[in-house]
Amino acid sequence: MNKSPTFLRNRKTGKPVEAEICDEITDQHVRLWHSSWMPIVAKAETELQRRGIPRDRWPQDLHWKWDDKTAWSRKVWALKRYSLLCEGELQGLMLINLAKYSRLATQVGWHIAYVEFVATAPWNRPDLCDQPTFRGVGQTLMRTAVEVSRAESFRGRIGLHSLPQANEFYQKVCGMTDLGPDRSYDDLVYYEMTEAQADSFCAPPQA
Amino acid sequence: MAEKRTMTLNLTDAEMDALEELAVKKDLNKTVLIRQALRLYQMVDQRLREGKKVFIEDEMTKAKSELMLL
Repeated sequence: MNKSPTFLRNRKTGKPVEAEICDEITDQHVRLWHSSWMPIVAKAETELQRRGIPRDRWPQDLHWKWDDKTAWSRKVWALKRYSLLCEGELQGLMLINLAKYSRLATQVGWHIAYVEFVATAPWNRPDLCDQPTFRGVGQTLMRTAVEVSRAESFRGRIGLHSLPQANEFYQKVCGMTDLGPDRSYDDLVYYEMTEAQADSFCAPPQA
Repeated sequence: MAEKRTMTLNLTDAEMDALEELAVKKDLNKTVLIRQALRLYQMVDQRLREGKKVFIEDEMTKAKSELMLL
């Protein structure tokens, strides 16, 4: 397993905090997911239920079972797993499929790194807690997806189907192209990032 | 990325032509193209070993044909 340094930003202090990306979801990471994420998710679900919010309006990634996804993906070489850790806690998880093709007209048929699943720890999510801990988990994992794509000679091209609550993030923050709702995928909006968009998204901030 | 090892691959002219043509079409070099082919093969094989079937669907007619691996 390889680890690479990165950083997240503490939302309270605004200061960067050292973090690391691992190119695997280990059994230890799965145990961390289960012991630290799931109790908060269960609490959030109880609260959503108490407030009478219909189940189809709950964040759809709450029910993702990373133990099953990890076990299944280990059998398929094209599926790659990544975990983001900071201060000894699991801050994010991502599953990438390297056997998918682009749909965007300018790069149709070329390989992309397709983000099957990406999630941030519940304590970093403004929709699940009042004072989220870290900022930047989503962006860090998306940059990792671009790096994986580049390392595979896919030139930074990536794609994904977005959950409704994340559409704005992929379009505005990541600068991806909106290819509209996909009827074959629960009408989730499909996004792609081109090589140029990847370069722009990963460029260091200008002083 | 994982450590890589090198091998020599013997192909006929026709196979090499097909490899080169696909590599250009897919915007990949030949090594990466073969790696991708291996991944796809392994993915399909894994699904079949799990007792699943893999189909190719005609987008227009919705006709499906089963993908067989020998």
